[in-house]
Amino acid sequence: MTVKIEVIAGGIPHTKIMVGGIIASLVCLYLSYLNVVTGTEMFSFFGGLAVVAALIWGSNTIKVLCSYGIGTGVPSAGMIAFGSGVIAMLLATKFGIAAPIVTLVLAAVVGLILGYLSNEVLNMKIPAMVQSLTELAVVGAFTLMGFAVLMTGGFTFAALTAGSVTIMGLSLPSYQVSFIGGSLIATAFMLGALAVQHPFNACLGPGWTQDRMLMLAAECGFLSMFVAAIMSFALITTGSALISLVVALVGWGYTYMQYIGLSKRDAASWLDAKPIPDVEGH
Amino acid sequence: MTAVAAKPAAGGAMNPTAMVVGLVLLVIILGICWKVSPGLGLMALIGMVVGGVLIGFGTHFVPVGGAPAAMGQAPGIATGVAMLAAGAGLAGLFGGAWAAEQGLVVAVVTGAIGGGLMMAITCMMVNFIYVFGMGIPAASGKVKVDPITGDTQPEFKSQGTEGHGLPFVSFVGGVIGGILAGGGGTLIYLMLLDLYKATLPTLMKATEAQIMPVAISAAGIFAVGMFLVNAVLTAYNITGTIEGPHDPKFKRWPRAVVASAVASALCGLAAILIVVV
Amino acid sequence: MESIVFGIGITALTGALATVAGAAEDTESNIGSQGDPNSQVQLAPQMGYLHRIFNKAIAGEPPAYGLWCALGAGLAWAFMAMQLNAVLAIVLGCVLAVFVQGVYSTTAYLGRTASLKKFGQPVFVDILKSMTTVTMAHAFIAIFCTVTLCYLMNAALGHPFPLPLLGLLWGIALGAAGSAVGNPYYGKERQYQNQKFGAGVPIAQSGNIVRYAEAGERNSLDNGFFTAKLGGPASGVCFGLIVFLELWRTILFEKIGAGWGAIIVGILIILIFTIIDRSIEVWARKTYGPYAVPTKEASS
Repeated sequence: MTVKIEVIAGGIPHTKIMVGGIIASLVCLYLSYLNVVTGTEMFSFFGGLAVVAALIWGSNTIKVLCSYGIGTGVPSAGMIAFGSGVIAMLLATKFGIAAPIVTLVLAAVVGLILGYLSNEVLNMKIPAMVQSLTELAVVGAFTLMGFAVLMTGGFTFAALTAGSVTIMGLSLPSYQVSFIGGSLIATAFMLGALAVQHPFNACLGPGWTQDRMLMLAAECGFLSMFVAAIMSFALITTGSALISLVVALVGWGYTYMQYIGLSKRDAASWLDAKPIPDVEGH
Repeated sequence: MTAVAAKPAAGGAMNPTAMVVGLVLLVIILGICWKVSPGLGLMALIGMVVGGVLIGFGTHFVPVGGAPAAMGQAPGIATGVAMLAAGAGLAGLFGGAWAAEQGLVVAVVTGAIGGGLMMAITCMMVNFIYVFGMGIPAASGKVKVDPITGDTQPEFKSQGTEGHGLPFVSFVGGVIGGILAGGGGTLIYLMLLDLYKATLPTLMKATEAQIMPVAISAAGIFAVGMFLVNAVLTAYNITGTIEGPHDPKFKRWPRAVVASAVASALCGLAAILIVVV
Repeated sequence: MESIVFGIGITALTGALATVAGAAEDTESNIGSQGDPNSQVQLAPQMGYLHRIFNKAIAGEPPAYGLWCALGAGLAWAFMAMQLNAVLAIVLGCVLAVFVQGVYSTTAYLGRTASLKKFGQPVFVDILKSMTTVTMAHAFIAIFCTVTLCYLMNAALGHPFPLPLLGLLWGIALGAAGSAVGNPYYGKERQYQNQKFGAGVPIAQSGNIVRYAEAGERNSLDNGFFTAKLGGPASGVCFGLIVFLELWRTILFEKIGAGWGAIIVGILIILIFTIIDRSIEVWARKTYGPYAVPTKEASS
């Protein structure tokens, strides 16, 4: 009757992925601070790597949450993650160098309260709800901050709102050509919201395997990083954007090939221009 | 399919303790806001809470049948409730933002009408495709008689289904839902826009004209974010599908109103703290 | 006066673009079995009905189109910030957005199908190749039209929102309109062509989708071919009306009564659509009659 979403044990435990995701994202976000230390924008691509790490973690969280059948589709979880994440992330950018840590704390608080509201006030009574929404809010905030770093080179409110526009060879400061002023944040929002729910949404079913889903999560991350890197040409120097672009393309090519290989491994059969096979008993 | 087969654990019951905790949280958040920014900030936050509640309450009216509706197995519009409400509400936000210069009341009403217009056209076209494309008349599965028109429903329900199409009461529900969602989204946007317009120039040491793009963008993306949070919470409340205001699930709205109020207050407080701390 | 004439011209153009976008969007999602009818394509192998239908589950249509249009608009915005010509920027942005859509489609098909190993559903590589390219072509039309109409709203009509945010708003609205109108026509009428016309699909029949065509085995191109005749255009009319009427009432009547003119016209339009809807409903009840009577004549 229904598309069954089954809880499947095994694979890497969720706690391990979560801890790995938090540490990897934080480290990558802080490595991008090398931009300020060295006075360049060359290390912006670390923002993209933070996105990939956060998305891998987030896709596994969605798997945990949606295994319970929450009544609405898998995509809604991605939407609420980023809806709460964007708010926490923007507030955190006010805290300068501490921003990534503050993001973690603020998003966790927002997610915790949203989880409590859904589970108790809305009476959903899903065991994983509170923890999952907390994690998802952090994932959303980290992903958006990663995109912000990738596109602007920094994670402070000033970096996100100020840009420069070159008219007739003259460089003028402009608030319009910036991550927030140009609403590139809206694009980053949707890029992340789809990328975080897609891996589980695409791989669900009785033959779900964790390594394939996580590989797809990495693929989605690099793909999003690729287009974000193209947008970053407008905001950071060409050379730095080019580095991000190359990193994204290499990562995407590798993970995409790997994912196709894993799908080939898991599929019942791999046919080209063949009719529907006969199934015994039908 | 999920709506037919899997009835999630969430029942219609209220959890009084949690409701009280929610209301206490709301008061605490309002208190924090009053402490840091008694005038402008608190007014903006109250506006955002009202807007969030309008979205949460309005989403209950939107008739959504989910996957079974696409097979003519259940009444309602064949899509996700959160995203349909978002489509209507954001179309309203588009109109409301355009009318922002004409004052709060005009802009909010414009946004509301924009949302209602989107839902009216969509619901009409849904019935159009059911009737002229598939030859199926509208029938509700939850009530025997349409509460508005008095049309009887069960004999128009084809065999083995829960009903199909949009009976008139669902159409009206959709329009009301679009109006409330569009108005709510616009209200959140305008509150934030006014706040940012007033505070960002001193914060960023620039003129109001210079910071306008940042203020508009930030208020817009916050409005979208808060809209999605409220719509998804409501979707959780009704477990993904509802027929409209006549559906028994509609009676669950007090839970969603409390949840939306707290969630909007929380997100709104964060949005206010960006400029006042 | 001149500005009003200019505004009306732009409004008509955006309405036309929206109509094309809606029609292309619905056809694209039907070829990909995206949205709610997807559940049946996913369910069929579990019921023992293996098929050659494309199954690209990338969220529902509203979030998916929210992304494609926001992405196309964001890229176009970035190219314009790099001093590129607007037309070129929009085309390039949409091409890249379609590339992302294509990659998402392939991973979604591979993922869902590989997870159905237990039921023996194979991955058809030829389906992957031929369907993905066709959906990309339709998606390009839909995204290009939507981003262009957003650009017109921003640049020509002076809407305050920047291009990417408009792309997000109208992308979600496009997906919502297209899925609401187009899904039942594909889900009921095409997937379950073997069921009675003029009645909903009995719940017991779920999963028994049509898998064979007039000759040979049905694939998703046949589905797009079918729904492009009614579901697609109807979705297009729906989205076109939404965009056109929203702009039209604002452009023409905003100045009357300090904004209240546009509101009153909006209320009148809602009332007109309410009357149309009610008359369609009554017409159907009278003409088709109830199912409960013995003759059970639902089709006319």
